[in-house]
Amino acid sequence: MQALWDSIQAIQQQFFDPTVMTENFDEVLAGFWVTLRLSVIAGVLSLIWGLILAVLRQTPGKLGAIVRLPAIAYINALRGVPLLLVILIIFVGLGQLTNEGAVPEFIGIPTWFGQRDVFWYGVFAITLTYGAYMAEVYRAGIEAVPSGQMEAARSLGMSHAQAMRYIIVPQAVRKVIPPLLNDFIALMKDTALVSVIGLIEAVQVGRDVSRETLNSSALMLAAFMFLAVTIPLAMLLDRLIARQQAQTSRGVSVL
Amino acid sequence: MSTAEHEDGSVDFDGPILQLRGVKKSFGDLRVLAGVDLEIEKGEVVCVLGPSGSGKSTLLRCINLLAPPEEGTITLEGTQITGTESEGGVDFVRRRVGMVFQQFNLFPHKSALENVTIAPRRVLDRSDAACNDRGKELLASVGMTDKVDEYPDRLSGGQQQRVAIARALAMDPHVMLFDEVTSALDPELVKEVLDAMRELASEGMTMIVVTHEIGFARDVADRVVFMDGGVIVEQGPPAQILDNPSEERTKRFLGLVLEH
Repeated sequence: MQALWDSIQAIQQQFFDPTVMTENFDEVLAGFWVTLRLSVIAGVLSLIWGLILAVLRQTPGKLGAIVRLPAIAYINALRGVPLLLVILIIFVGLGQLTNEGAVPEFIGIPTWFGQRDVFWYGVFAITLTYGAYMAEVYRAGIEAVPSGQMEAARSLGMSHAQAMRYIIVPQAVRKVIPPLLNDFIALMKDTALVSVIGLIEAVQVGRDVSRETLNSSALMLAAFMFLAVTIPLAMLLDRLIARQQAQTSRGVSVL
Repeated sequence: MSTAEHEDGSVDFDGPILQLRGVKKSFGDLRVLAGVDLEIEKGEVVCVLGPSGSGKSTLLRCINLLAPPEEGTITLEGTQITGTESEGGVDFVRRRVGMVFQQFNLFPHKSALENVTIAPRRVLDRSDAACNDRGKELLASVGMTDKVDEYPDRLSGGQQQRVAIARALAMDPHVMLFDEVTSALDPELVKEVLDAMRELASEGMTMIVVTHEIGFARDVADRVVFMDGGVIVEQGPPAQILDNPSEERTKRFLGLVLEH
């Protein structure tokens, strides 16, 4: 009986030691603040880059193939490669090219807005990868808009670009807000991968602390910080989906 | 044929406003139009009848280049708009030819008024105030004054279709195409749409109306065209085609339509 009690206490100490958590709270929070900034900046850029890719992918006609085919190739390539690999390729590649003078330091080793170069490498890599993921989400939304919408817009004299801008994309985006939000949650968790090139974000802080203390509590603390953001987002997502389903079942188009 | 374009986009031209010569169109192996010749005079209302699959809708889509023909020529206001010798591009056509669809195709994320104003605002770069004034005027002309701010999902099918007519008119078209615009409507909503079209016809609009409404064709059309198998079988004044057709295929079709 005593052995069992000791085990339980040991587990509690290993994962939920209040002393370790309070002593390292500020440090982990500082790391999580980096995680949040990285997530929001890369998330916004991915939303924009993904939409650009999705629209290029829909360019019609023979001439449109000049942009359509590269867009398709890019999306398929980036969806099929681990994000970790993209992070490493950019880190090694840009750093080395800058050392050789092939790329100006302003771009090769960016320190914009007071953020370290590895922060921006992370932003690049995540945007490149998640832009491709989100392009596929947008594509599903664009294809879900009835073809009569494009015909009506064209018959009113709009160009393909105007029809996309004013008619198709606004409807498509409304349809795909839930899956985009889902991708954003995944993106946020994937920012931890940027720690491999030396970014001190929440997971890396947790690792550093756990190495010193031989205790997992700082890592658990980082996990709770993630949950504090991702659970409300997931709840928001569920509500959005429920609202869309209610509207669809009433025969009302989703606005 | 001499043409000269005025600043307002109107063109001086001799002869018919719209002229089709040997127009052919296929989708894959399926030949939908097998050589159509048709001339439409300015201000004329032409109703196109025929069984489904006879190429009526495709004919309209050829005219406004939503589905450009593979062979033959189409001339709009004296300007050739098809083939290698095309002088007028897609823009030339779309600014002169309005279209109303069977499924309305209103933009669901825009109010009735925004549906009507978006094309003149974005395509013709007209001011918001001018577009809104004209838009409200057009919606009033189809009896939709009290619904200008409603979204399409709050409107009945008949109301949506009337907004769609106003939307097409907002581009000041010279020719209006109607593609089975009452076929998706509940019976009690058909009349309000046909009345709006009657009104438009009485104002002298050039109209090509693909329809199954024999009564409308009889009352409003200057000419009835009967199509089958991708060609025009016969055409003439409504009384002649509807009451006294000379072709066997026309008789058979009218027999089926008028039976009930």
